[in-house]
Formats: sequence, structure tokens, C-alpha cells
Amino acid sequence: MKNLKEISTRLEIAKKKIKISEKKIESSNAASLGKALKISTELVAAVAVGTTIGYILDSWFDSKPLLIISFFIIGVVAGILNVFRAAKKIGEN
Amino acid sequence: MSSNPMHQFEVYPIGPEINLGPVNLSFTNSSLFMLISSVAIILLLFFGTKKKLVIPSKVQLIAEMSYSFVAKMISDTAGTSAKPFFPFIFTLFMFVLFCNMVGMLPYSFTVTSHIIVTFVLAATIFIGVTIIGFVKHGIRYLELFIPKGVPIVLLPLIVIIEIISYLSRPVSLSVRLFANMMAGHTMLKVFGGFVISLGLLGGWLPLGFSVALTGLEILVAFLQAYVFAILTCIYLNDALNLHH
Repeated sequence: MKNLKEISTRLEIAKKKIKISEKKIESSNAASLGKALKISTELVAAVAVGTTIGYILDSWFDSKPLLIISFFIIGVVAGILNVFRAAKKIGEN
Repeated sequence: MSSNPMHQFEVYPIGPEINLGPVNLSFTNSSLFMLISSVAIILLLFFGTKKKLVIPSKVQLIAEMSYSFVAKMISDTAGTSAKPFFPFIFTLFMFVLFCNMVGMLPYSFTVTSHIIVTFVLAATIFIGVTIIGFVKHGIRYLELFIPKGVPIVLLPLIVIIEIISYLSRPVSLSVRLFANMMAGHTMLKVFGGFVISLGLLGGWLPLGFSVALTGLEILVAFLQAYVFAILTCIYLNDALNLHH
């Protein structure tokens, strides 16, 4: 019986150690690097999409520089919004 | 020719050219390396789960770790309602990871360094997630574009901004993976070229850089697969649980 008790205490110590190491992994550098890489393209993608939509609409309505300029600006706003949201998500965790 | 750093990204057909109308369906080196990655995944998981030992062997350990890694990622980011999509996300993660990692082998071809490959993956996810959202919430899914508490005057502008933000998801998802892989492999090749051109005297410094960059590239290969999968989970979460 004494042997069993010893094993259970050892098990508990080992479990605690696992929990500590898991916490370390969660806040490791690799995860934050992933988040940083994620944010970097958010801004560019929204600007590109906005400009493309503006260009397509311009050729539809034949209003050459007007829509592409306004959709470029809207794209920038959407990109900043994306970055803001992504950064907020990191802050929540 | 082969000293050109972009030469490694060239796609050429292997075997006969197959044309289906205007579509060229030839088996290319890109298809070959996709096939190699898929077969490698199947072999790993087959041999990893064949003998179910209590104390796992190395292959079984890798298979089990990849399973629990993806399972944990899904439950952390998308919750329990995303559990039915585990097979899809697991396949996606393993495919991107293996394509990236196979691309790190010398003389191999990096499938994910082509925007068309990554964009098809991202577009499939984007369309799929949108359909899931509409199936689950019906027309109320469009509420995603209307943030709460916005004055009615600003609403048209906000809706356009939200739609562009939504449409930018597949672009950012695909460009991120493609750009990271292509930039990394080009850089490796450029530094490799420096070693040759600087010769025995000055070639040691770029050689050191090459070694360091290879390590960095392996990290990036894993990270990009991870980011790709985790963003799929986040988009799925947005579609399944409609609140923001």
C-alpha cells in the first residue's frame, strides 16, 4: 500500500510539471511570431482587394479615376480595421 | 541558367502533355511533389496507427502528436461546435506542412511557393466557410457586415468597409503563405549562389548565413502551416458562432 501512495504522489508532481511546461509552450516565441506574420499581410491584402474592386467598378461605369481612388482609401480603412481586430484578439488572450 | 534564383520555381510537365480542350492537364513537377507530400502523410499516419502500443514508437508518437495538436488548436480557437470539421482542418494542416517541409529538401520543388496553389486552397476555405455560415444562419449571416451600435448615417460606408475586409481574407491567407515560402527559398538560393561566386576565400560567410537561413526556413515552414490552419479555425468560428 505504501508503494501505491508513493506512486500517486509522484504522479501528482509529474502532472504539475507538465502543466507548468504546457503554459510555457503556449506563450512561446513561435506562437507570437506566427501572430506577427499574420498581421503583416492583413493590411496589404485589404488595400489590394479594395483597389481591385475600384478598378473593376471603374471599367464598368466608365468613371476612370474616381472609384479607384475612393475604393483605395476604403481599402486602407478596411486594412487598418483588420490589423486593429487582429491585435485586439492577441490582447484578449 | 540554374544559377538564376527563380529557376527553382519553374513548373514543367513530366511525361506526355494532356490537353482537355483549352485546359492543360499535364502531370507537372508541381503535381509530383503534391503527390509525394500526400503519400508521405498517408504513410506516416498508416504506420503511426498500425501498432497501437501503450508506449508509442517514434512514428506513432508523431502521428498522435499531430492529431492532438490540431485537436487542441480547434477546441481553443473555434470551440466544440467546430469538431465536425476536424478532418478537413487536419488534412489542410498536414498537407501545407508536408508541402513546405518537402520543399526544404535539396533538389525538391516547393508546391506552396506558387500563388495559384495557395489561392485555390484559401478560396476553397473562403467559399466553404461562407456557405457554412449561410446554411447555419440563413440570411442573418449578413449581420456579420453590420457592427452593433453604428449610426444609420455611417452604415453604407461601414458595410462597404466590412465587405472589403471580409473579401480580403482569402487574399491575405494565400499571399502570406506564398510570399513567405517564395521569399525564403529565393533567399536561400541567392546566398547559395554567393558561396559559389565568392569561392574558397570569401564563401564561408554566406555559407554560414545559408545554414542559419535553412533553420529559419524550417521554422517558417511549420509556422505558416500553423497560421494557415489556425486562421481557417478562426474563420470557421466566425461562421459558426455569429457574434463579434
